[in-house]
Amino acid sequence: MKLSLKDIARCLDLPASTVDRWIRQGRIPIHRSENVCIFKKSIIEKWAFNHGLPFSPLDKEKEIYKKQTLKLENLIPAMQFGGVFHGIKGDDVESVLKSAVDKVPVLPINKEGLYERLLEREALTSTGIGKGVAIPHPRAPLPEEIDNPLITTCFLEKSIDFEAIDDRPVFVMFILLSTSIKNHLHLLSRLAFCVRDDSFVKFLRTYPDSSSLLSKIADCENLLDRDDN
Amino acid sequence: MRILRLWRHPGSWTIFRLDDRLLLILIAVIVGTCSGLAAIALNRSLIAMFEWLHNFRHYWWSFIIPAVGAALSALFLDKIVKEGAGHGVPEVVYSVSRYGGLMRFRSSFSRLISSCLTIGSGGSAGPEAPVVMSGAAIGSNIAKFFFLNDRQRITIVGCGAAGAISSIFNAPIAGMVFSIEVILGEWKSVNIVPIAIASVAGTEISRILQGNQIAFSHRLFNIHHLDIVACIGLAIVSAAASLLLTRFLRSMHGVSKKAPFPIWMRAAAGGCMVGIIGIFLPIVLGEGYHSIRTMIEGAFAQGLGIVAVAAFAKILATSLTLGWGGSGGIFAPCLVIGSLAGLTYHRGLVLLWPSVPWVNEGCFALLGMAGLISGMLQAPLTGIFLIIEITGSYEVILPLIIVSVISTTLCHYIEPASFYLKELIEKGQLLRPGTDARVLSDLNVRELLEKDCISVKQNVLLRDFVNIIKKSHRNYFPVEDENTGNFLGMIHLDDIRSYLFNPLMYDAVVLGQIMDTDVEVVYLDDDLSKVLRRMDANRLFSMPVIANKKFIGMISKATLLDKYRKELMVQTGF
Repeated sequence: MKLSLKDIARCLDLPASTVDRWIRQGRIPIHRSENVCIFKKSIIEKWAFNHGLPFSPLDKEKEIYKKQTLKLENLIPAMQFGGVFHGIKGDDVESVLKSAVDKVPVLPINKEGLYERLLEREALTSTGIGKGVAIPHPRAPLPEEIDNPLITTCFLEKSIDFEAIDDRPVFVMFILLSTSIKNHLHLLSRLAFCVRDDSFVKFLRTYPDSSSLLSKIADCENLLDRDDN
Repeated sequence: MRILRLWRHPGSWTIFRLDDRLLLILIAVIVGTCSGLAAIALNRSLIAMFEWLHNFRHYWWSFIIPAVGAALSALFLDKIVKEGAGHGVPEVVYSVSRYGGLMRFRSSFSRLISSCLTIGSGGSAGPEAPVVMSGAAIGSNIAKFFFLNDRQRITIVGCGAAGAISSIFNAPIAGMVFSIEVILGEWKSVNIVPIAIASVAGTEISRILQGNQIAFSHRLFNIHHLDIVACIGLAIVSAAASLLLTRFLRSMHGVSKKAPFPIWMRAAAGGCMVGIIGIFLPIVLGEGYHSIRTMIEGAFAQGLGIVAVAAFAKILATSLTLGWGGSGGIFAPCLVIGSLAGLTYHRGLVLLWPSVPWVNEGCFALLGMAGLISGMLQAPLTGIFLIIEITGSYEVILPLIIVSVISTTLCHYIEPASFYLKELIEKGQLLRPGTDARVLSDLNVRELLEKDCISVKQNVLLRDFVNIIKKSHRNYFPVEDENTGNFLGMIHLDDIRSYLFNPLMYDAVVLGQIMDTDVEVVYLDDDLSKVLRRMDANRLFSMPVIANKKFIGMISKATLLDKYRKELMVQTGF
C-alpha cells in the first residue's frame, strides 16, 4: 500500500514530523522513497496494535473527523421537523402537556413515557421562562429514541398558569427534544435569544401560522449568526 | 539514466530489500570481516614497528622515540584528519546515542594510524579502542551505503565494534558482550543476532590469518576455598588500581590542557617522560602483552617491591601517554596493570602467610586483569568473558566472577560513571535507549506544537474579544502586533475572567493593556528537557512557541505526556 507521509500521519493521528523521524530511525515498519510511504497494511495495523497506537484507515479517519466537526443544527430544521400546532386544549400544566405530547410527530417512542418525563422535569422547576413562553423538555437527551433534534411548537387554546418565573400565563410551548446535551444547549440558547426580543414575543401573540413563524425565526437566526462573526 | 542511478547505488537494489533481518545478517558478515581485517592490520603493523624500533632501544637517546611517535600521532590527528585525541570509544557511544550511529569515513582509519604511531614507538596504550572505533566507523559507512535506517545502523556499528574486539583478542563472546554492554547498552535479540554473526566473522578472519591461538596460554590452576576468600582482597586492590588510573588519566588531561604548548609538543613531552620511565622499567612500554604472558606463566622474576613499583609506573606511563595527547586505548594497559596488581597481591599474601598453599601466582595475575577491566569499564560481563576467552581457563570462573563483580561495585560506588562514559554523562550526552533523556531528546518542540490557539491583535477592544472567546477552545490567546505580526504577549483567560463579566470594561480596555508581556517563551530548537525544567520552575502548564519573533503555537505538558508515552512505547516495544 502506498500513501503520502501526510496521509499516513493522519491515519496514526500523529504529526508528520514524528512519523518522518520514526521512519528514519527505523521504529516503524514503513519504507520511504521520496515522498511516498510504502507499507503493508496488515503489518502496520499489527504494529500499531502492539504499540498501543491508534490506526484508522483514511476513509474511517475522515468519518471521525466529520463527526468531530459536525455542525450543530439550527432552529429551522428542528422546528420544521417538530411541526407547529394551534389550539392545544387543556386547563392546567398536566392536561396541556398531555394533549401536546399527542401532537409530537413521527416518533416511534412511547408517548406516555415522554409525557412522564416532561412532567418530571416540570416538577423540578417550571420551564416557563417568562413572557408567556414555556419550553418543556425532558431532563436527559433522547439519543436512542430520536435521530434528529426537534422542536414542536404548540399554541395553546387558552393561556394557563405554568408557574413561570414572571407568573404570567403561558400561551405558547416549545417542546424541545434533543439527541445530545450539546445539541440541547445549542437549541435552547438560540430559542432563548429569540424570546428575549420583545418584538418576537409580540409576533408570537398573533398566533402566526407555520410558514410565517419559520421565516421570523430565520430572521432571528441570521441576526445571531451575524453577531457571532 | 535509471540504470546508471541504480549502478551508483547498489544499496537500493530490490534484492537487498527482500527481508531486513537477512540483510542485516549479511551486512554483519561483511562488517565483521572488515573490522577484523582492520584489527589484524593494526596488530601486524604494531609488531613490525616494535621490532624495527627495537634496534634503537639500546641507545641512550631511546627515550626520545615514544616522544616522536606521540608527537607524530597528535599532529596526524590534529592537522591531517582533524579529529580530537583520545581513544574513540566515547565518540562511538555518543554517535550511537545521538546521531543514530552516523560516523565519518575517515574515522575508520585515522585512529589506526595514530595509535600505531603512539604504541609502536613505545607509548603505553592499547590498540583495542582505536580498533573499536575503526570497526564502528566501517560499520556505519557500510550501513550508509545500504541506506539502512538509524536503528539498523546502530546495530551494524555494534557489529563493527564486536568484530574488532573478537578479532584482536580471538574472543568472540567478549566482542559480543563488549559491544552490547558498553557500546549499545541495549540487550535485544534484534541487536544480538547480527552482532553475534559479526563476532564470528571477525574471529574467523583472525583465525585464518593468525592461526587459532589463545593469547595467554597457562598451566592448570588448582584453586582452593581459601583462594576464593583471598579474591575479595584482590578485588579491593584492583578496584583501587582502576580508580587510581581513572583519576590519574583525568588529572593528567587537566594538567596538559593548561600547558601553553601546541598539542603535538604536549604529546611529545608526555612521550618523553614515558621513555624515561621505560629506561628503568621497560615493562611499561608498548601494549605489554609479552609481559602479561610471562606473568600468567608464573615466570615473572622480579620481587614484590619491583612489581608494585612497576604497577604504579604503568599507571603513570599510561596516563602520561593518553592524558598528554597520545592516541590509544586503555584495554591493554588495564590488562598489564591488572596482572601486576594481582602479582603484587599474591606476593604480599605469600609474605604474610608463607605456610598456606596458595594457588600459582599466574592465576592471581589473571584475576587482577578481570578486576581492572571490570572496574574501569564498569562492565562486569565484558571482564569475565574476555579473561575466560583470552586465557582459556574456565576453571577460574568462580573467583573471576567474584573479583569482577566486587571490583565493578566498588568502582561504581566511588566513581559512578565508567571511564568511557564519564565525559558523556557529565555533558549529558549519554542517551541509552528507552531512558527518559533519550525519549526527550528524540522528541522536538515542532512535533509537540498545538496550533489551535486564536491570535488576537493588540488594539482589539475587550467587547470584540468576548466574541472571540466564544469560538475558541483554549484559555490562551497570543497577542500580535498589528503591523508586523510579531509576538507581544499572552492573555490567559484566568487573569481576565473577572473583567469579562463587567460590561463597563468592554469599551474601556484594549487587549494591549491587559496582556501579560512578561511571558516565558520557547524557541523551536530548544531542548525539551530544559523546557520541561522551566515549566516546573515557573509552575507553568503551557508555554508559547516563538519563531522569528512570531507566535507559531503552544507547547503544553498534556500534549507532551501524550507524545512522550507514544514515543516511549515505540522505543521500548519490539
